[in-house]
Amino acid sequence: MSDEIVKIKGTKSGLQLSFERGADFESIEQDLREKLESGSSFFTRGTVIHVAPDALKKGDLDRLKRLFSKFGVLFRTTDPLTASSPVHEPSHEEGRAEEDAQQMVIVNRTLRGGQEVRTKSSVLVCGNVNPGAQIIAGGSIDIRGTCRGMVHAGAYGDSRAFVVADRLMPMQIRIANLIARSPDQAEEMEKAERAERASIKDGQIVIEPIER
Amino acid sequence: MSEVIVITSGKGGVGKTTTTANLGVGLAIRGKKVVLVDTDTGLRNLDLLLGLENRIMYDLVDVTEGRVPYKKALVRHKKYENLMLLPTSQVKDKNAVNPEQLVHLCEELRKEFDYILIDCPAGIEQGFKTAIAGADCAIVVTMPEISAVRDADKIIGELNRADKNSIKLIVNRIRPQMVEKGDMLDMDDINDILSIDCIGQVPDDEKVVTSTNRGEPVISMEDSLAGKAYRNIVGRICGEEIPFMDFPKDSFFQRLKRAFGL
Repeated sequence: MSDEIVKIKGTKSGLQLSFERGADFESIEQDLREKLESGSSFFTRGTVIHVAPDALKKGDLDRLKRLFSKFGVLFRTTDPLTASSPVHEPSHEEGRAEEDAQQMVIVNRTLRGGQEVRTKSSVLVCGNVNPGAQIIAGGSIDIRGTCRGMVHAGAYGDSRAFVVADRLMPMQIRIANLIARSPDQAEEMEKAERAERASIKDGQIVIEPIER
Repeated sequence: MSEVIVITSGKGGVGKTTTTANLGVGLAIRGKKVVLVDTDTGLRNLDLLLGLENRIMYDLVDVTEGRVPYKKALVRHKKYENLMLLPTSQVKDKNAVNPEQLVHLCEELRKEFDYILIDCPAGIEQGFKTAIAGADCAIVVTMPEISAVRDADKIIGELNRADKNSIKLIVNRIRPQMVEKGDMLDMDDINDILSIDCIGQVPDDEKVVTSTNRGEPVISMEDSLAGKAYRNIVGRICGEEIPFMDFPKDSFFQRLKRAFGL
């Protein structure tokens, strides 16, 4: 792709679109359609898109609105100045959900059987997560200890969430809408010697060792 | 000065009552004034283990409902003068006693005794909540078995929630041969999960069963391994530093016998 016809900038309240000066509407629409159809994580359902009202003609704005709504993306026409100040790095903002995921709940004890942490944000556990305990987080989960319970990261759909633990040996790991369970034979699950990280890669939950 | 200790486990059948009876006798042998309170209303057993069933006149429910002063309900052990039992009712159920009543009773008993041991019922419901209400610290009894350890973990969580943070662990009914073969959880596995201070490792011992039937706790038997383990626990409760004993492994001859299926 040549230099972008459509520029996308993440802001606190969503994505801000701006268009190359002089670009014709046909190529703008074409470019956006390709981006949407590629299933890029930019445009997950519920994302709010802002466009300056004077960037395009009224009729063209309506056509864009229809295009976005087909993909479940909310389309707003707002002035970039009145919209909340844009962040500098081109981040993968997802509006509200992302904001929550960047908050952190800190659990400063061992979670024992039957105890549960449920939050829209991310979770840091300084202690173990014992069998029978569960953590359900909108964001990612970091366990500074042994994880033997059930952990669900990205519970509200964030498939970029991950789970990290010093010793990762949980009953189940769930990330977004995927589930991985521990092997049926206990012997197959050797004691993890180093910190590991579970995340989604190519539509599967994969676990890999990490340094920390 | 005096200490109220609740003995609990979550799971049934791991040896709460046996532990309560043995620790009570052990502390009494050391000259402490001890009272054992059975809170397993409706399923009382502690009196049987101490061989005192036929001496019960009044029970815990009579005391908490104010029909008799607690002193009238206490049953003195026939052999150990310092040991008293406050039995519970066999006909009422757990709702007959509430936490406030037990807290009040414990305060009364504190004036008289050095150690108040409360035998907790299994489960995490009302009976459990009542039993732990007045306790300064808790002893969690478990067995080297995943369901017992899981329940112990849950109970520790519940105790923490009730602000009982002085919790000790006793692992009961360990079978050294099975642990050695890797068929049973070993102490490292258990400590790894529960991560609380362990004050006792009691081996499985047939003498526990025979002594229960006779109403004579195993702690008084000199030749019993479980008895020795309980005596060590009593020492640790009294603040002594006692190393954990090694369980005797099978002798070469026994192993040979097993290999030939004898």
